[in-house]
Amino acid sequence: MNQNSLSPELLQKAVHSLPEDNLSNMRLEAADRFSNMGFPVKGSEDWKYTDLSQIADLTSQWLNGSMQENAVDRENHNTKIVKSVTDSIDAHWIVVRDGVIDSDITEPHGTTIKKISAVNKKIVTGNDAMSVFNAALLRDGIHITAATPLKKPIGILYIDGPSSVITQNRAIIEIEEECQLQLVECCLSAGIGKQFTNTVTDFLIAAEASVNYVRIQDRDFEHTSVNRVNALLEKNTIFNHNGFDLGGALTRNDIVTEIAGKDALVNLNGLYLASAEQHIDNHTNIIHTVGPSTSTEEYRGILSGDSQCVFNGRVFVAEGADGTDSNQYNHNLLLSERAEIDTKPELEIYADDVKCAHGATVGQLDESALFYLRSRGLNLEESQRVLTHAFASGTLSKLAVGACYDYLTDLLDNRLELLVGAAG
Amino acid sequence: MSIENDNIESLVNRTYKHGFVTDIDQESFPPGLDEKVIGAISARKKEPKFMLEWRLKAYRHWLTMKEPEWAHVNYPPINYQDISYFAAPKSDKDRPKSLDEVDPKLLETYDKLGIPLHERAALAGVAVDAVFDSVSVATTFKEKLQEAGVIFCPFSEALINHPELVRKYLGTVVPPRDNFFAALNSAAFSDGSFVYIPKGVRCPMELSTYFRINAANTGQFERTLIIADEGSYVSYLEGCTAPMRDENQLHAAVVELVAMKDAEIKYSTVQNWYPGDEEGKGGIYNFVTKRGDCRGANSKISWTQVETGSAITWKYPSCILRGENSVGEFYSVAVTNNMQQADTGTKMIHIGKNSSSTIVSKGISAGKAEQSYRGLVRIMPQANGARNHTQCDSLLIGKKCGAHTFPYMEVKNPSAKVEHEASTSRISENQLFYCRQRGISEEDAVNMIVNGFCKEVFKELPMEFAVEAQALLNVSLEGAVG
Amino acid sequence: MLEIENLKATIAEEQVLSGLDLSVNAGEIHAIMGPNGSGKSSLAQVIVGHADYEVIEGSVEYQGHNLLELEPEDRAREGIFLGFQYPVEIPGVNNAYLLKAAVNAKRKHQGQDEIDAFEFLKLAKKTMELLDMDQSFLNRGVNEGFSGGEKKRNEILQMAMLEPKLAILDETDSGLDIDALKAVANGVNSLRHSERAIVLVTHYQRLLDYIEPDYVHVLWEGRIILSGDKALAHKLEENGYEWVRTTVSS
Repeated sequence: MNQNSLSPELLQKAVHSLPEDNLSNMRLEAADRFSNMGFPVKGSEDWKYTDLSQIADLTSQWLNGSMQENAVDRENHNTKIVKSVTDSIDAHWIVVRDGVIDSDITEPHGTTIKKISAVNKKIVTGNDAMSVFNAALLRDGIHITAATPLKKPIGILYIDGPSSVITQNRAIIEIEEECQLQLVECCLSAGIGKQFTNTVTDFLIAAEASVNYVRIQDRDFEHTSVNRVNALLEKNTIFNHNGFDLGGALTRNDIVTEIAGKDALVNLNGLYLASAEQHIDNHTNIIHTVGPSTSTEEYRGILSGDSQCVFNGRVFVAEGADGTDSNQYNHNLLLSERAEIDTKPELEIYADDVKCAHGATVGQLDESALFYLRSRGLNLEESQRVLTHAFASGTLSKLAVGACYDYLTDLLDNRLELLVGAAG
Repeated sequence: MSIENDNIESLVNRTYKHGFVTDIDQESFPPGLDEKVIGAISARKKEPKFMLEWRLKAYRHWLTMKEPEWAHVNYPPINYQDISYFAAPKSDKDRPKSLDEVDPKLLETYDKLGIPLHERAALAGVAVDAVFDSVSVATTFKEKLQEAGVIFCPFSEALINHPELVRKYLGTVVPPRDNFFAALNSAAFSDGSFVYIPKGVRCPMELSTYFRINAANTGQFERTLIIADEGSYVSYLEGCTAPMRDENQLHAAVVELVAMKDAEIKYSTVQNWYPGDEEGKGGIYNFVTKRGDCRGANSKISWTQVETGSAITWKYPSCILRGENSVGEFYSVAVTNNMQQADTGTKMIHIGKNSSSTIVSKGISAGKAEQSYRGLVRIMPQANGARNHTQCDSLLIGKKCGAHTFPYMEVKNPSAKVEHEASTSRISENQLFYCRQRGISEEDAVNMIVNGFCKEVFKELPMEFAVEAQALLNVSLEGAVG
Repeated sequence: MLEIENLKATIAEEQVLSGLDLSVNAGEIHAIMGPNGSGKSSLAQVIVGHADYEVIEGSVEYQGHNLLELEPEDRAREGIFLGFQYPVEIPGVNNAYLLKAAVNAKRKHQGQDEIDAFEFLKLAKKTMELLDMDQSFLNRGVNEGFSGGEKKRNEILQMAMLEPKLAILDETDSGLDIDALKAVANGVNSLRHSERAIVLVTHYQRLLDYIEPDYVHVLWEGRIILSGDKALAHKLEENGYEWVRTTVSS
């Protein structure tokens, strides 16, 4: 038991209040396990810089029933936000509000989309506390099986609304052999106030298949989220991921990819833009269990205000994973006096036939580039803006799903304006 | 080039050459640590009262502490009551006043180690303070140093002759409560070296300490304190060896450096404690806290280490860059072979404006060894214009070893520039074949390539140490390839 | 000096030499020409004992002894030198160090005293003057950051210092501009010696404008199918390798 534990009784009660279905046993089992674990405590190696105690408090209050319902903008919640996304990004959309999946799902040809409760399969729960917590309170999740490539991407839109304060989202995505899947995930807020969302997404990528996955998080500045992505790669597969974190009060992402087959390729790219009191923590873990295989990773961050960002990129090369080729970079721009970046690119290597390189930088805009632009007539602020945009747009050049390019460009432009403006 | 290379060949040895035991009358305390033992150590050394109180305070705090577990190393639990906390040659009772009075057997030991006090010191102009187990046995060149106003003496002597200096600085860089091993050292340290360089003095020669653990079941807990007052300079060398024994021995030292305004301290270590045998039996646990405090503006502290020995190394020579424009450097070569484990690196804490630090770490892992670089670069909010560059390279030899990198960067100032680069590689078949086609054996080729890999660090070492370091490296990697 | 009979060799189970015969005497210069993939480099690698190649048949005698049973370093110490097509970079190891180690390994092998640093430097400087090379070469890492031309000249420097009995130069001309080619050729020519045999492996005839061979051999699918004097090289240049094939088969 630690200070971030929940009352087991209240947790059990909450689990029992959910409808009886295929997932009931999983929930009860997970609730039991979670009661012994509690939320992660700040200071442990994985949570060195990120403090979940607020989430623990919030959850306790919610379980107690002492939470007030958040402010609601029903109209926005129901239509405006959904439309703003679905009109901009051409995809087969699945909308999930407060952990409840909209019932009007259309299945594109060659793809099955079901609720997890409707799939007769044992659901594997991860061993980390947040995955167990997710399993305990999960209402339902999405199960996708992709068998034939689609022209359009599949889109999942998660909306944190006002009606539930603690939300669990879960998606399990199986990509069958030789299939290609494009997936866009948008995480937005419809209401304001305190809200905590905990999402777990699994990718099971069969031999010769590939996944292009873009995740855009632009939640309300009071909302907190913990997000975990697990990807398992069989032989000759590709996993391309872009993560964009623009919003949220506290955001923690754990991207775990395991290369279990030869000649697999993992590309992880991320961009985080933080201002005010935002806290964005990206943990990535690329596990090379067999070789030859390749991974590349580049995360970029721009920080202003009092924000704090964390990057922890781990590359693990198991014994015998010969022929591993891995490189990993993290670059950060600090725009304000009070912003803080904690970065740790780590390598753990148990094989000798490997090429691994990693690097991290923290710095400012290039003085000579600034001077060059000013000598061409731009003022200081414009010059800064141009270079800051250039720094961020580097990640767009590797965008895995083209359909969201325009939507993202607009989003980033607006966000960067605020960031540069607020930096001064 | 080349002069050193000649020496290397002659220095290369097939096995751990320092693994002899000196047969000398030893006096040691029975195993175990309690307030009585600490009192006895303190009394034995005729320490001033404040020292005993300081030790006891550290001891009481140590009792409340837990051994750290975060390092990437594995070892069975240590029973701290099985260790003897004091061992000294018996003849210590009438301590030698000059080299001529030193027990000839001891001198012979140092000869075997390759540091004949007479010749080597004289030839090289090095002043050597030799710590044998826990006691400092001979300090050469005292007079010459005295002329310059430099104090270089065993720690226990400093406590008697310069108590005010010791009291002023002891524990100000590494507080007794800093960590488990530092607390243990603060309670039980037996001896070490003390250096004070007065204002504006450039120490006329390189100072050197040779550490050796000789007695069985003994822990060595030495304490080194070096103060470079304003505008002074000192280069300090430290070497370590231990005999081959089947059981593990603990070495928990503390080194504190203080550099005042415009002062510079260069601290070089060649650590060659007994690493244990091929199966991992025996060897030294080297759990050391080394930290330098750049207290004044424009001060500089430079750590250079070559770590080839010890069964387990746990060591992070660090710099607190308090002064404006202060400079911290860390150059490291660590070699682990067979069952050795090393978790080593540095911490650079930037507080002063425009402080800068450079980290160059070269790790070589062979056999079944595990090696980690663990480094922290922290830029505090007030450290405007701080700079850090870190270069961290690993070379793997063989399929069973591990090489890991855990660099932490915490930046709280927007005008700071922090860069970290790391790479991992192995010796390629092509490189080996190329050398063999030129008539060079595979083993020589490996040594050549490894030495090339470490060159950036070796060039930071004083000449003689560089030669020794290269030779050690070759010995350490004996049998790693093939 | 070198007698190769019916040599057959494979790499990764693929046959690269299929019954090659070649006889080289001291004082001679042989040019081995052939299209890409004909086995030129394989022949060079087999002679110096690269472990990736397996000899499955035939014999190689060097100075009357079976060469194939020697380790690569012993072949080198017996006086066989290969100028690599792609000289390997060894970062951090300086050229002088490698050279001195190589020279002394050979001297030791031959029962001579090792030369000291002073003598070595004197010798190296003299040789470099002869080859018109900049002395800064000595202090640079082995081939580290060298241009293509510099790498090849460095191979010639090593050859000059090691004074081999049999020197094989594998595509020494590839990737060189005309000045670098001349410089390399001058170096090789200055090393012509009645006690020394030189084997030039090359794709193009142009190197042979600067280094005049005594014999020219055409290698095709792992065998020498045609031999002649330097006129053969010119014919090849004019008519291409297809011509050889038709000539030989008709």
